[in-house]
Amino acid sequence: MTAVTDSTARRPGIVWLMWRRTGFAPLLLLVLLVLNVVLNPVRFAPGNWGTLIGLAAPLIGAALASTPAILGGRGGIDVSVGPLMGFVNAIVVKVMITELGMSSPFVIVPAALLIGAAVGAVNGFLAAYVRIQPIVATLGTYLVLVGVTLTILPSPMGSVPAWLKLFSGSLSIVPLAAIFLIWWGIRRLPYYDHLMATGSDDRAAYTAGVDVPLVRFLSYVVTGVFAGIAGLMLTALIGSADGNIAPTYTLIAISAVALGGVSLAGGRGGLLGAAIGAICIFLIQSVLTLFNVSTFVLQIAYGAILVIAICLTAIQDRIEKRARQR
Amino acid sequence: MAEAGRPSAELRAAGLALAAGKAPFSETVQAGEIVGLSGLDGHGQERFLETLAGLHPPRSGEVVVSDGGAGARVEGFRQAVRHGIAYLPRDRRATGIFPALSILDNFAIATIGRDVRGGLISRRSRRERYQKFHRQLSIVAPNPRAPITALSGGNQQKVLLARWLAHDPRFLLLNDPTRGVDIATRQTLYGVFRELAREGVALVILSSEIEEIVTLCDRVLVFRENELFATLSGQALDSDRVIAAMFGKRQ
Amino acid sequence: MRVHLNSTGARVAGAILIAVLLFLAGSALIEGYSSAFSIRAMLVLACLLAVACVGQTLTIIIGGIDLSIPFVIGFANVVAAQLYGDGMNFVLVCAIVGVLALGIGALNGAISAGLNLHPLIVTLGIGTIVQGAVLVWTRGFPSGSAPEAVTKFVSIGGSVGPIPVPWLIPAFIALSVVIIVVLNRTPYGRRLFALGSNPRAAALALINPLRMWIVTFALSAFFAAVAGVLLLGFTGSAYGDVGQPYLFQTIAAVVIGGTALVGGRGSFLGTVAGAVVLTQINTLLIGLGLQPSLVQAALGLVIIVLVSLYGREAHVRATI
Repeated sequence: MTAVTDSTARRPGIVWLMWRRTGFAPLLLLVLLVLNVVLNPVRFAPGNWGTLIGLAAPLIGAALASTPAILGGRGGIDVSVGPLMGFVNAIVVKVMITELGMSSPFVIVPAALLIGAAVGAVNGFLAAYVRIQPIVATLGTYLVLVGVTLTILPSPMGSVPAWLKLFSGSLSIVPLAAIFLIWWGIRRLPYYDHLMATGSDDRAAYTAGVDVPLVRFLSYVVTGVFAGIAGLMLTALIGSADGNIAPTYTLIAISAVALGGVSLAGGRGGLLGAAIGAICIFLIQSVLTLFNVSTFVLQIAYGAILVIAICLTAIQDRIEKRARQR
Repeated sequence: MAEAGRPSAELRAAGLALAAGKAPFSETVQAGEIVGLSGLDGHGQERFLETLAGLHPPRSGEVVVSDGGAGARVEGFRQAVRHGIAYLPRDRRATGIFPALSILDNFAIATIGRDVRGGLISRRSRRERYQKFHRQLSIVAPNPRAPITALSGGNQQKVLLARWLAHDPRFLLLNDPTRGVDIATRQTLYGVFRELAREGVALVILSSEIEEIVTLCDRVLVFRENELFATLSGQALDSDRVIAAMFGKRQ
Repeated sequence: MRVHLNSTGARVAGAILIAVLLFLAGSALIEGYSSAFSIRAMLVLACLLAVACVGQTLTIIIGGIDLSIPFVIGFANVVAAQLYGDGMNFVLVCAIVGVLALGIGALNGAISAGLNLHPLIVTLGIGTIVQGAVLVWTRGFPSGSAPEAVTKFVSIGGSVGPIPVPWLIPAFIALSVVIIVVLNRTPYGRRLFALGSNPRAAALALINPLRMWIVTFALSAFFAAVAGVLLLGFTGSAYGDVGQPYLFQTIAAVVIGGTALVGGRGSFLGTVAGAVVLTQINTLLIGLGLQPSLVQAALGLVIIVLVSLYGREAHVRATI
């Protein structure tokens, strides 16, 4: 027993490392991907990748956006990500494009980022400085955003310019790449270490001189910016303004994050895991729709896979810990 | 010197190894004895104490608790407690107190069943049980309904000790009980420990204060690299020898 | 003094004070706000919410959270209607629904505590499965209705003898007393607070975390099921999404009532006050003529303001 675990510990293969970083999700991803490609080669042909990614993009974006706030730990979570995407969608399509006639990407993209950052800053201020429990604070902004969105947008309307539509088709990878690029930049900064330190043990981080409230505040701003981008992806996909779609993304996004091995207690996991979790959920939906399964069964399957996956990750963790102790 | 009516009890470690490839050892703690555990931080003494409490399965060998008659093998913490073992953890804040709860709650939580009358906790019974230890340990707490965090570290420790004394333990395992405790409280605690030993309780005390175990204990076990390195008692028990053993010097 | 201001008692008092102030404000601003009918309606709505909040209070005190409550409410609502509609004895129906709910909740608790997983995600996953299962069973079209007795029990126009409130109100008061006594005066209640206050110390103080979590989450689902059956009586017909507004409302009511999300502190009396506050804010805003969407936005603002008044957490500095 000892000999076996020792030898695996000495040779940490890439699969092992992936497993440790993101849990059970990559394996699930692989299985689902193979299943999808085999069952539906047309849909998954390389020529369709753009559209396919465009379909999955809002969910992936929402999951990526949810991650930074969660990484900050001590109950850090942003349940307003979904409504924020809807708010961006409403402002961009209804106010900017339809009413003000502004359709230049050089106006719309910065505006979306700015709205995201602003809402994120409000969340961050409430959670980190006013010190309201994050789930309650962001629940407050959730309700405000849904309310305001439905007020300015009582029913779906509008259309989007051609350049934005491209982001749900051939250019669909661009916004996601942008998020990863921003995150890649953040990882080069000392801020990233501070965030992870705060997430795993905020008291120790504070004693070591980390400005814990500031670190948490900024994590919500980053979450907001990412949610702004995700809002654009959603807008590109639905091609109009619709106040009812976005809020549903919140809970799925959090599921995706957990599925991707990001600890909801903070300090562990990353964007890659969140993305893998989100893609898994998308592929589950995809494969089940293919079987012509009703959305009801789809829901059971989706819930069951989520529960089983996080259980397996936990059991995996436990076995690993036991092996290390011996 | 076991108390009348109480057959002499003993806690025995037989062929116990603390880590893989480490030399096993046997050791018996008798009723009425105070045994000290010492060693540089992380050299196995804490592991030993926790193994005695059933918090870790031993790497090899076994821990046997007996109250006079046939012994029982210690297989877990709750089972150990049922056989009269009590364990006071090291980090008061992390694993001892319930910061949101009152002094009374903190005291009674591990023996809460004893206050139940007709399904409900009798406040009176709880208060009376607490009063006894309040006097015995001279806990300085004006109002037992105040949150435990209102007390000084030393008094918090006394409440935690009372929590376990309320169990009437035969074996009291103490993990650095005077850590972060003021001098006056220490003297009180020493008095209590000696009194308990006279009543026939076996005490095992892990301490980072060498003076403390030298004056308090009948016997001191010094651990080094997860092995029992030396056992000092009687004339051989003094600070210099304990320190020497901690650093691996044979006398 | 500072300790005193942060204590649970002060928070509960704060929530009750706000409920009273809201009532005075409503009476001054809106005609008919303090009419007998309006008060009865608010009482019934607040009671229904508070029943759904029982479990949320318990699971939050233990240091968790239960997001499956709305799904279990919907489950109980639909299953009870369906079975009763099929001609089953209603007592038997309630027994089946209750036992199933206890099982769902026990599973939530067992997975969360047994594998040390965040209950937020576990209850969300289990809740999704439950909702899907109900949809599959009813093919998305639930049918059936509530028996007369349940409808009367929760009817706003009902009366208890000469007192013009439905039986729900006195029954709920009795339930509240039982819950408060259980929390304060039974080993289960004290262990619940202890476990929420310091899980690592709890195991060393002979508290079995797994058992506590299973019992607590089972109770949570049970009371969600009770709320689901009561809502069936209230609305008259089955509706799978009837519990959805309760997802966030239960959390908001518990927090407004002074229960800390980090566990170990809280009270059910506070939760009841929180439910009354939420119901009043809703009524008040609708009474002021706001659109439903704006009511929601205002509710969000009010929650933030209220919680920032007295529901703040300690600075990390203070936890060292």
